[in-house]
Amino acid sequence: MSARFPPVRVPFATLSEALLAAPQEKPFVTMWLDDDDERTFTFGEFTRWSNAQAVSFKEHGLGKGDTVILIMPQGVALMAAFAGAMLLGAVPAILAYPTFKVEPAKYRFGLAGVSANLNAKLVVVDESFPAEFLESVSLSDQSKLIRAHSSPPTSGNGAVTHVPSEPEDLAFVQHSAGTTGLQKGVALSHGAVLRQLVHLSHALQIRPSDRIYNWLPLYHDMGLIACFILPMVYHLHVVMQSPTDWVLQPRSMLHLISKYKCTLSWVPNFALSFLARRVKSEDRRDYDLSSLRALINCSEPVRAESMDSFAAVFSPCGLQPMALQSSYAMAENVFAVTQSGMNGGTPPRTWVDGAKYQSERIAVPVEKGSGPCFVSSGQSLPNNEVRIVSEKGHTLPDGHVGEILIRSDSMLDGYYNRPDLTSLSLRDGWYWSGDLGFLLDHELYVTGRKKDLIIVGGKNIYPQDVEEIAFSHPAIHDGRAVAFGCYNADLGTEEIVLVAEVEEPSNLGNSSAIDRAIRGAIVAELGVAPRTIYLKPPRWIVKSTAGKPARSATREKLLAEHPELRIS
Amino acid sequence: MADFAQQLIDYICKEIIRRPGVQIGVDTPLVSSGLIDSFSLVDVLSKLEEVTATRIPAGKVQPKDMDTVSLMLSTAQRVGKPRR
Repeated sequence: MSARFPPVRVPFATLSEALLAAPQEKPFVTMWLDDDDERTFTFGEFTRWSNAQAVSFKEHGLGKGDTVILIMPQGVALMAAFAGAMLLGAVPAILAYPTFKVEPAKYRFGLAGVSANLNAKLVVVDESFPAEFLESVSLSDQSKLIRAHSSPPTSGNGAVTHVPSEPEDLAFVQHSAGTTGLQKGVALSHGAVLRQLVHLSHALQIRPSDRIYNWLPLYHDMGLIACFILPMVYHLHVVMQSPTDWVLQPRSMLHLISKYKCTLSWVPNFALSFLARRVKSEDRRDYDLSSLRALINCSEPVRAESMDSFAAVFSPCGLQPMALQSSYAMAENVFAVTQSGMNGGTPPRTWVDGAKYQSERIAVPVEKGSGPCFVSSGQSLPNNEVRIVSEKGHTLPDGHVGEILIRSDSMLDGYYNRPDLTSLSLRDGWYWSGDLGFLLDHELYVTGRKKDLIIVGGKNIYPQDVEEIAFSHPAIHDGRAVAFGCYNADLGTEEIVLVAEVEEPSNLGNSSAIDRAIRGAIVAELGVAPRTIYLKPPRWIVKSTAGKPARSATREKLLAEHPELRIS
Repeated sequence: MADFAQQLIDYICKEIIRRPGVQIGVDTPLVSSGLIDSFSLVDVLSKLEEVTATRIPAGKVQPKDMDTVSLMLSTAQRVGKPRR
């Protein structure tokens, strides 16, 4: 913990102590599949399940300080395994469960890399985990792989297995967003997590009657911290479903908020557009969203049109004008850096001089509606500081766009077993986020990414990964492909656009088959479908002076040829 | 059933894929091939309910059950409830 911040009074010394202090009869988690298939676990039932997991893990040799990898579907079994590991003083890390879209070779590669880096004593998978992936888990001589039961124990009122931890001991490792092969394990202490939760609960004025709705995956910081650890520590009820169930039935989110009178929820920006568009008008009368105190837009740049379309569609359902809020968060800070609405009101908006913004990267406010609009992600939480710096690292004044640096008392200890990456990102106590933005009157406006990252529905995609896939096709000239993100206002998120040069002009006659092959490979490896693939003749892509594809210039050339990409 | 399949194929090509020259059959992988993305499945599911005149309950369908038109129709048969 940085000595520069005043000490914070945390409610418990460790996360496991918070769980053990919970009121036994209070509902903790409701896992919902549909109205005929839902189950609620009280804190008492959940603690007993966690304890049973702790006993099992201990029998398999897991002890204090050991890392344990959990690869299980979204559900209470996963949460109990996570809490069970913490009861033993062990350090759990959740990895994404494979979906049907994933390319087995790619998943195996990522899994092998992450599991080797974590050097886990135990790897826990569910009973249905595909056997074809098991061989990729990197096990040392001292580590073991086990399958966990997906149902709660039928007995187990015995003594709680609890190995006390210290506040600055590692609590868990959460993986920063990104494709599996590039994921970095963010190591967080109990103290850092608890300090973050104190600040967040203060900002949100958390009260015992709050109830959280969640469909976000628990391997993502928004799902893990805001929708599992926060309610576990503050003894709140969380109503949960899986991300895949939500994608197929987005209206179920509205149904559950109405049914359980949920007060808090976090979603990426695209979800607001998605819900506004996909929920039929005749279904809307079934929903009552008046209980929502805060629906927090987080993990993608906040878009005014997404907020507005959601508000317009769901205000008749009782959505309160103040409910739509925003936040800037990252795993490296446990979760939130900023939060809107702390002083009342909705996130401020600012309209800026478009020409000045494009040419000089300076946000000069203009009259409402007469330039591009940015929505604030809020102000810094207590004991969190934000600084905007130039390429050379000089602090920039208000309104100037630069890289966002953060400093707080809830920062990561480092990337797990990666001191090289830690020293690159953590310098003089500041975390260099790689995100771009500007400050204006203490409000943080996030404008994009420094490193060409594409954010599709809250999922980070590196353009280099997309380009590598294109290069692997025999008809594509090796090294001659450029991928970038293109914002789709209809969806409220970016989509992947790929432009690639073919080896021979004659290959263009086979465009349809090439498109299909590359498209399929991108989905298999990255889990998202590109919007459009443009195949171009040799020497079409703009090269830099070093002879490499110039991403920005190629993007501009493509947008000039295909203006429809700008319009959407 | 063949008529249901053709209605779904027409809808997916015209309203979801919207790229000239792309043709699909009942067994063409859709999501796993990248022809459509997961976020389009909610529209396809609604169309499936409409075409088969069923109500398909939440939580009983996974994206993998929707990867081809054949799988969609099997899913509707397996979990769909007649619309009242």
